[in-house]
Amino acid sequence: MGITRRGFLGCVAGSLTAGLPLDRPRPVATSPRRVLLDLGEQCALPESLSGYESALAGLGGGASVTHADARAASGCALLIVPAALALRAAAVRAIVTCLGAGATVIIESGAGFATDRDFAAHRVALRDHLRLYIEAPLGLWSAARRSGAIPYVDYTWPSPAQVRDFSRVVPLGRREDERDIIGRVDGRPVALKRRCGRGDLIFLGSPLGPALWAGDAEARRWLFLTVRGARPGG
Amino acid sequence: MKKAIGDNMFAKQWGFERGLELVKQAGFDGIELWLGDVPWFQLSTTDGEVRELRRKVENAGLVVSNVSTGLHWASPLSARDPTVRARATRIVEREIETAVLLGTDAILVVAGLVTEEVPYNEVYQRSVDALRPLGQTAARAGVRIGCENCNAEHRFLMSPREFGQFLDDVHSPAVGIHLDVGNIHDTGFAEQWIEIHGPRITRIHVKDVMKKRGRCGDQSVYTNLFLGDNNWPAIRAALSKVGYDGWLVAEMEARYRHAPDQQFYDTAQAMDRLISGRL
Repeated sequence: MGITRRGFLGCVAGSLTAGLPLDRPRPVATSPRRVLLDLGEQCALPESLSGYESALAGLGGGASVTHADARAASGCALLIVPAALALRAAAVRAIVTCLGAGATVIIESGAGFATDRDFAAHRVALRDHLRLYIEAPLGLWSAARRSGAIPYVDYTWPSPAQVRDFSRVVPLGRREDERDIIGRVDGRPVALKRRCGRGDLIFLGSPLGPALWAGDAEARRWLFLTVRGARPGG
Repeated sequence: MKKAIGDNMFAKQWGFERGLELVKQAGFDGIELWLGDVPWFQLSTTDGEVRELRRKVENAGLVVSNVSTGLHWASPLSARDPTVRARATRIVEREIETAVLLGTDAILVVAGLVTEEVPYNEVYQRSVDALRPLGQTAARAGVRIGCENCNAEHRFLMSPREFGQFLDDVHSPAVGIHLDVGNIHDTGFAEQWIEIHGPRITRIHVKDVMKKRGRCGDQSVYTNLFLGDNNWPAIRAALSKVGYDGWLVAEMEARYRHAPDQQFYDTAQAMDRLISGRL
């Protein structure tokens, strides 16, 4: 049978997360395409790409993984850019094309552990192409050790969810509209959703992919609900 | 079975040659070399210098039993930071390279480190993903990677079945278990680990453990052979049952406060008794 162990486990976990019966996996949608943009060297965390891939497979329908190629991404309902560092021209074209066509685009920052130079490139790309303002990466665990609390990311959209932190976050800048904030860590805004062109732009300053990869049920539920809300693009 | 002891047991003032001399005099057959834990064997040690270490070992009438390292405690394969992970991978690769240069076929790796910050499921996945390609590298070099059961120390792979599942998931004949019979503490029984893992055991660390006490401040929970709570007759019987005939490597955490050389003689004699089965 042409199914990998990871794929099978992804299906099981995804079905359980979504409350679907195991014997009748129900795809979220049959026609809307979901595309994972593999940035290659500019994807800081390969496990994040794997996490989205297995989680989307678990939701039914899977996703096609493409390298930065605007044509391959066109017409998709959902474009996910896992663990992004610098966004090269082709990647920006794919993102902008999808947003213009009404798709949902998730850009996950992979800059939490980046060098100063890589972070600067990441910040410039987000600012110049998407008018997203971010601040320098922040370590969460020195404060967590003092307080004894685990720094979960608290999402408020699409439904309340708590997902384990990834040690370092890329917080959103003060210029971002408070109404767009959909996730915080210890009060700091780290996730955002806003209209952009005809589509929706979601920025995640704390990587979700590694949590998906590790089988985090809350992370899978968050993705499932987000995927369900994604509309087919033009 | 053959007896070895680690060069990280050498007193600082001895140096490598004097340490080797003592190891031979005490009756050991081999020496375990600890990459990064002793001044003479660092990541920066060149291939030529590694060959010179081998020459000194052989001149002393010994062989290298295996290459080990404690560097993965600070740079684990399971780290979230890709830079740390790359360093951890490089450490394993260097262990493999030096094992070949030193004429041995086994290395020790601490496969993953669960912390408050990096949770178990992540550590598991990341360790499996890291070890798959490293297993291929090791196989090409004719070396086996022994993942050490550090149990409570790395809060990972606490039971023998779980460890077996982990090795199944890594799915490489070049990746097995470097079994430490002292590390199991009060969470199980070394003889059962031996029975379960049998042919997958690459090397065995021997030390005794005071199961009933646990760690107490800065005092070690480990002790010399036959002073602790391990069931040594059962361990010896299990070794016979699975046909283990490889290296037993002494790893003493607590050191003699006086006459540190005496610990080498006492340990070698205790290991002789263990091997002979006169327990």
